[in-house]
Amino acid sequence: MSWTEKYRPKKFNELKGQAEAISKSRNFLANFPKKKSMIFYGPPGTGKTTLAYVLAYETDSEILEINASDLRNREKLRAVLKPALEQRSLLKQRKIILVDEVDGITKFDYGGLTELLNLIDSAKWPVILVANDIWDKRFTPLRKKSEMVQMKEVDYRTIKDVLISVLRRENLFVDNELLTGIAVKAKGDMRAAINDLQIASEMEDPSKILDNDRNKEVDIFNALRLVFKEKPTESLLRLYDSVNMPMDQILLWIEENIPLEYKAKELERAYDALSRADVFKGRIYKQQYWRFLVYENILLSYGISASKEGVKRGFTNYKKPDRILKIWMNNQRTAKKKSIAQKFAAYVHVGQKRAMAEFPIIKMILNNPEIRRELKLEKEEEDYLESH
Amino acid sequence: MVSEIWTEKYRPVKFSEMVGQDNVVKRVESLTKSLNIPHLLFAGPAGTGKSTLALIIVKDLFGADWRDNYLELNASDERGINVVREKVKNFARTKSLGNVPFKVIFLDEADALTPEAQQALRRTMENYSATCRFILSCNYSTKIIDPIQSRCAIFRFKLLEKKDVEKVIERIGENEKLTIAPESVEILYEGSEGDCRRCINLLQGTASISPSITPDLVSTIISNTKPKDVRVVLDYAISGDFIKAKEKLFDIMLKESISGQDLIKAIQKEIWNIPVEPEIKVRLTEKTGETEFRIIEGSDPFVQLQALLASFVLAGLGKD
Repeated sequence: MSWTEKYRPKKFNELKGQAEAISKSRNFLANFPKKKSMIFYGPPGTGKTTLAYVLAYETDSEILEINASDLRNREKLRAVLKPALEQRSLLKQRKIILVDEVDGITKFDYGGLTELLNLIDSAKWPVILVANDIWDKRFTPLRKKSEMVQMKEVDYRTIKDVLISVLRRENLFVDNELLTGIAVKAKGDMRAAINDLQIASEMEDPSKILDNDRNKEVDIFNALRLVFKEKPTESLLRLYDSVNMPMDQILLWIEENIPLEYKAKELERAYDALSRADVFKGRIYKQQYWRFLVYENILLSYGISASKEGVKRGFTNYKKPDRILKIWMNNQRTAKKKSIAQKFAAYVHVGQKRAMAEFPIIKMILNNPEIRRELKLEKEEEDYLESH
Repeated sequence: MVSEIWTEKYRPVKFSEMVGQDNVVKRVESLTKSLNIPHLLFAGPAGTGKSTLALIIVKDLFGADWRDNYLELNASDERGINVVREKVKNFARTKSLGNVPFKVIFLDEADALTPEAQQALRRTMENYSATCRFILSCNYSTKIIDPIQSRCAIFRFKLLEKKDVEKVIERIGENEKLTIAPESVEILYEGSEGDCRRCINLLQGTASISPSITPDLVSTIISNTKPKDVRVVLDYAISGDFIKAKEKLFDIMLKESISGQDLIKAIQKEIWNIPVEPEIKVRLTEKTGETEFRIIEGSDPFVQLQALLASFVLAGLGKD
């Protein structure tokens, strides 16, 4: 049996490092139905689902768990929930509805989101929603309705204490330094730490557990965390090799998230590093001289990291860069503007780019219907002029 | 049919109608009359008559058939030198009509081509030199590679003087029955920075509101055509709200399709209006210059402009 299951906390005092979340969520239950739902959000392995079960245990409630992917199947959802929502439980007095992986509801799954909102409105019992990242725009209505409970990354010392108590109960011994290593490496993820400890205890040379993640693919969020939060080390120079993403994309992620981490002097330094990286990127493209990539990489990793003073704490909800998408969407919207500028440009012997830049004044000239006829503007183009 | 777009309606069609550029016009006219023009390179600022003179040349050479013997291309609009070469090839395939032994190709904004593309252009010019004459236009002749320069007769266009632009405005004003206050002429000239085409566009834009061209109206129109919210962006930055400044900047670049270099120009001017100490203004100006340099060297103007905004945030905090 996995230790994470075996030692999953049942009571409040067993769930370590989340005092704030515990008291917030207890208040929520005490005040129910002032708000009908609360959201547990935070990085993996901080105890979100566990806290839901602990609350159920401590308040003698029955947990009714549904996965966000079930929301799409309206029939199934109704069938599962309906009796529970309206009747009292036979076994237990109270119920808690737990919806897991809410951030798994995709952008295109409006139905699922609407169904979830309906579910909350009609629920007779508290609804707990669990998500890693709930800050996308599409979740705004959910956030407004719900009590927000943040689960923070667990401090490595707390993780270490928990690891020690697990070892004691297993009657095992692990070297103190290795315990610290495992706790630090987990970066706030209690579940990962306990899993690592269990694996290490079965290994011939347990210390190998620490260099395990060399070959592992790092996801971009972890990479950002390393760069933005930790002290700059030379290992950062190889960091992006293990991120499965082209350098141009990584640059956009960095750009999007610098202002979330750095302020003032740090902000300026980090942007200076980014700006220099972009200059090398430009030189790579223009001169097709790929060795410049070395400098782009160093500036984007070590350079960004060294822009801060000390280290950063806490959890940051890194945002996905959407600039390219926005540009694309804007291009779709301004396609008509472009075609008008093109016609005008060809007619008066100037370049299209200049016509685009001077569009405000051109638009005024096009107020004259005769000129619109002269340029043979199409209906859609005339409509564009009318509506802008 | 006479165009209702004034830049077309009042575009000079004869050498004698050209305004300013007296020296250039005289020499080009005599070359044209001799029916044996070399390749030409027109260098000079926007709106000083480069395209107009090219059109006058072909109209003089070919009369009513000029459209069949003239190809106009814009280097900054075409997708790469290969498209330019392909179009030239198709155009040059047929011989010219009439008694002129060549056709004319006008390549506007030739300095938008990279040096490599210009090398390719040079070969194209050589290949078709028996049947085609090229007129290249550019803002700066230094951006044109030497081998092309040496194959062309170079003509430098000056920025139009105020008296020249005044003449143009007066003529249009009379014809279109406008009342134009003397100060309005002043503002139109300043607002168009010697660019005659822009000046006429501004005049027509203003006239589309009212035939009475008052200074106030002209000023309003001009400020409407400038990157408006640059000040708003800088204000957000100075007050320490980097994220708002960044969003607004992106918005301007996106919705008004203003290039990074135009924005830099506007920011540089706006520095004098923001409430910071003189030595910080100097520092910010230097930063702005550095940013302009990096925009040219780099790949992504938005990244560079954000870096500049970060400096404004710091300036707002009174540190450096």
